Amino acid sequence: MANLPEAGRVLTPAASRLRQVHTRWLIGLAVACGAITVFFPFFWMAVTSLKTPPEIIRVPLQVAPDHWANLANYREVFHRENFLRYLFNSALVASIAALSSLVVSALAGYGFSKFHFPGRDAFFLAIVGILMVPFQSVVVPLYLWVNRFGLLDTYLGIVAPDLVSVFGVFLMRQAIEVIPNDYLDAARIDGCSELRIFFKVVLPSIKPAIATLLIIKFMWNWNEFFWPLVVVNSPTMRVVTIGLMSFTNIYFIEYNLLTAAAVISILPILLIFLFLQRWVVQAVVMSGLKG
Amino acid sequence: MTAWIRLLLPKTYVDRQRRAGFLFVLPALLFFGCVFILPLCQSIIQSFYRTVPGGASQYVGTRLYEKVFTDSTFWAAVKNTVDLLFMSVPTVVVCALAVALGLNRITSLKWRNVWAAMYFLPFACSLVAASLVWQWIYHPVYGILNAALGLVGIPPQKWLQSIEQVRPSIAAVNIWVRVGFDTMIFLAALQSIPGEYYEAASIDGAGAWRQLRHITIPLLNPQILMVCILEMIFNFKIFDQVYATTQGGPASSSQTVIMLLYDTAFKYFRFGDASVMAVFVFITLLVVTLVQWRIFRKPVEY
Repeated sequence: MANLPEAGRVLTPAASRLRQVHTRWLIGLAVACGAITVFFPFFWMAVTSLKTPPEIIRVPLQVAPDHWANLANYREVFHRENFLRYLFNSALVASIAALSSLVVSALAGYGFSKFHFPGRDAFFLAIVGILMVPFQSVVVPLYLWVNRFGLLDTYLGIVAPDLVSVFGVFLMRQAIEVIPNDYLDAARIDGCSELRIFFKVVLPSIKPAIATLLIIKFMWNWNEFFWPLVVVNSPTMRVVTIGLMSFTNIYFIEYNLLTAAAVISILPILLIFLFLQRWVVQAVVMSGLKG
Repeated sequence: MTAWIRLLLPKTYVDRQRRAGFLFVLPALLFFGCVFILPLCQSIIQSFYRTVPGGASQYVGTRLYEKVFTDSTFWAAVKNTVDLLFMSVPTVVVCALAVALGLNRITSLKWRNVWAAMYFLPFACSLVAASLVWQWIYHPVYGILNAALGLVGIPPQKWLQSIEQVRPSIAAVNIWVRVGFDTMIFLAALQSIPGEYYEAASIDGAGAWRQLRHITIPLLNPQILMVCILEMIFNFKIFDQVYATTQGGPASSSQTVIMLLYDTAFKYFRFGDASVMAVFVFITLLVVTLVQWRIFRKPVEY
C-alpha cells in the first residue's frame, strides 16, 4: 500500500479538521458508553437494594424503585445477620495485614536496597519467585499447620498468610533505593543506629509508597475470600465476604437483601478507592512494571 | 562459609553493616519460608502419601497421581478451566487495550479521569459481591439482562443455569472485573510513549492504523505480555466467582480445578488427592508463565 494519499482523497484543511473533531467525538462516545456499561452493575445493585420483594419480581421490570428512600432492606441485613461484626472483623483483619506487611516489607526493602550481604540477590530473586506459587498450592499444608496450632476460627489464623506480601517487599525496595546514600551516611556519622535511621530517615522519605502499600493491601484483604472460607467456622468470626454468602442458598435468594448486603460490603472499600484513587492506580502501575 | 561466620560474629564495621542488612530482611525471609516455601515442599511430599482413616499417612508412591490423572472428573474440571480461560483472557486483553487507547485520546483530563475511574471501579469490588450481583443480572426470570433482551425480541436465556451458557457467562464476569486493572497498566505505558514518535510517523505519512501497528503495539509489548501472564494466572485460579454463584453446576459444567481442589480437601478431606492437584496447579502455572516469557519476550529497540 502506498503511503502517499491518493489524489481524490486529499482533504482540504477545514474538512480534515472536521474529520478529526468527528473521530474525537466518536472515540469519546465509545469510551463513555463502555464506562457506563461497566458501571451499570453497581447502579443496578444499589437500585435493587432499595426495592421491596414484590417490586423486584414485578413484570414488566421497572428500573426505578417505588421509594428511593426505602432503607428497610439495610435494616433487615443488620437485623438478620451480625453484619456489623462482619464489618468489624474484615476491618480488623485487613488493618493488621496492611500494617504488618508494611513494617516487614519496609524493613526488607531497606535491607535489600541499601546493604550488601552474602546471598542478597539470591534471596530477593527467591522472594520475587514466590509470585509464581499460587496460594491454592500451599493451602492444604497451611490449613494443617493452622489447625495444629489451634488457630482455626481465630483472627490470627485468618490473617496469618497475609501478614507480608511479595508486592510490598518489591515496592519498598524500589522506593528506598532512590533515597540518596548521603542522607543515611550523614545520620550514621551523627551516631544513629541502623534501626533509628530506618524510622527517622527512611520511613519519612517514602510516604507515597507507604500510602500505596497500605491502601492496596487493605483492599486485597478486605476482599479476600478463599482463605477465610477455609479457616472460619463460627458465625462470629465471619468476615464480610463470607457474611455475604449467608444471604445465598441454592433454592431461594432474597436479592433485595443480598444486594443491600453487597452494597454495605463494598461501600467502605469504594470510599477509600474513590478518595485515594491516585495511590491505587500507582500500586497497579507498579505491579505492572515489575513484569 | 567464612562469609556466614563473619555475618554471625562481626569484627569490622563492614561486617556489622552486612549483619544489619541481613537482619533487616530476616523477618520477611522467615515469613515467606514458613508460609510459602515450606508448605509448597509439604504439598509435594504429601502428594505421595495417602491419609488413611485414623490420621496416619502411608507412602503410596505415584499411586495418587495415577488416581487423579485417570479421573475423568479432574480432566473435566481442567477442560472447563481452560475453556473459561480462552474465553476471557484474549477478550479482556483486547478490550483493555481498546479502552486504554480510547482514554489516551481523550484530551480533557477531568473526563478522562471520570471514565477511567468507572472502568476501574470493579477492581475495588470483592469477587464474591461482583459475582452475586451478576447472578441477579443473569436471573432467568427476573433478571434485567433477559428483560433488556426481551425489548429487542430475544427470548429469555438461562445463563448461569444452562450447561452451554454458564462458562461464557462467568467469563463475562471475569472480563468485567479485570478490564479496568489491565487498562490502567496499558494507559500508564501509553502515556510514557514520547509524542515525537507519532509526529515523525505522521510526517512520513503513516495513518492511525499503521501508527498503532508499528509504534504503539511494539512499544506496549512488555505490558501486553505481562497482562497476558497475569490474566492467565488469575483465570486459571478462578474460584470465588464459581463458588459464589453456581458451585460448579449445572451438571459440573462450571466445575474448575480450584473448585475441585477445595472440595477434595475441605469437603471430603482427601488431602493427598488435593495435594496432587496443588502440585499440578503449581507446575502448570510455572510452565505456562515460563513458556509465554520465552516465546513473547522480544526486545524492542528504537
